[in-house]
Amino acid sequence: MNATLTTRYIAAAVTSLPQHMQADVEQELRALIADATDGRIDAGEDQGLAERAVLTELGDPAILAASYADRPLHLVGPKYYLTWLRLLKLLLIIIPLCAGLGVALAQSLTGAGIGVIIGETIAVIISAIVHTAFWVTVVFVILERTGAETGTTWSVDDLPEPETPASSRVGLIASLVLLGVAAGALLWDRFIGLAWITGERLSVLNPDLWPWWMAALFALIAAEALFAIALFVRGRWTMRLAVGNTMLATLFVSWVLTLLGRGQLMSPEFIDRVFLASGVEADTLRILGVVLAFVASGIAVWDTIDGWVRLGKTRGSEPVSE
Amino acid sequence: MSENYDPHLQELRRGTIVLAALQLLQTPGYGYGLLQDLEQQGFQTDANTLYPLLRRLEKQGYLVSEWNTGEARPRKFYCTSPEGVDLLQNLVTEWSNLTTSITNLTHIIEGGTS
Repeated sequence: MNATLTTRYIAAAVTSLPQHMQADVEQELRALIADATDGRIDAGEDQGLAERAVLTELGDPAILAASYADRPLHLVGPKYYLTWLRLLKLLLIIIPLCAGLGVALAQSLTGAGIGVIIGETIAVIISAIVHTAFWVTVVFVILERTGAETGTTWSVDDLPEPETPASSRVGLIASLVLLGVAAGALLWDRFIGLAWITGERLSVLNPDLWPWWMAALFALIAAEALFAIALFVRGRWTMRLAVGNTMLATLFVSWVLTLLGRGQLMSPEFIDRVFLASGVEADTLRILGVVLAFVASGIAVWDTIDGWVRLGKTRGSEPVSE
Repeated sequence: MSENYDPHLQELRRGTIVLAALQLLQTPGYGYGLLQDLEQQGFQTDANTLYPLLRRLEKQGYLVSEWNTGEARPRKFYCTSPEGVDLLQNLVTEWSNLTTSITNLTHIIEGGTS
């Protein structure tokens, strides 16, 4: 009974050691435990209790074995933790987003219902998150155990540049010029025609959108211009500006999606002459429409997130003085 | 309260076990005997840190080992190697430098307060 305790302990400790160490460590441990037990018995302890005490002192045999074999007792240690964390954060943004968008796009192209699209997209995003987290961690656990170099050593050159203020004059001018060009293009399309086919000028956008739908679009452009000016005056992102930015992006995307959905965005004449006349099928047109809708939504979502991220950075880097 | 000090005290003691073991093992010794000697000299050590440490020092070439099968109970005897003696001398020098530094520090503080 007493002999088996020691034997069981040694067996448990030795079993996870590399082959070449096993016999040696086993014999050494046996002597060490026997010596320590004898020491306690000489001091007047009962034999059974002495052996128990010695083994308790040595602790969990798995920990002792790890210590003998110089094995880490953590999944990802300090050497790799930050690299792991940074990579995981980056990949957890990119991979689920791309997978989700890809599936949503593919489902839309095959004409699936909105419920199916949402369901499939959520399922794929969840599985992408799980897979990304799992496989990245597995790679780092292997790195930790093989002691490989990640090749990423920190140097002062890695220090991030201070965020350029949101209110740069260049940014304001660029926004206003772009909005002006967009407004000009809309007017040009209406009165002269952006497309130029076989010596004839054609409107690309549906002329029936004038006046009310176009008025709404011009109002949005004006609002965007006001927003750019407000951002410049304010000098940084605030809660109100981020909310305003989100609203503008939502309105814009609603405008595009509504018209695309009704098939009213493009001029019918333009579609006839450019696509149908050159043998493009109606199915292909529908796919082009879906892709266009995704691009518009993607831009709006990115713009919205960008605003909130910048707000978060402003909040993080300086005390709020509202 | 003294429980809060324990991690700091352990931190300070950690490196001294290597120094003491290399010093004591200039006369060959085995695991349990060394543990006893260390305790007698005032170095509190846990068996489960000392035994793997001896292995590590052996692997790094600072200790050499030999099985003594002459007695009823075969024991693994460790002995400090020439490299081990070199390391020991470096450690002792470092330790005495530290002692000087700490003494100086204490003097400065005493001089400042009195």
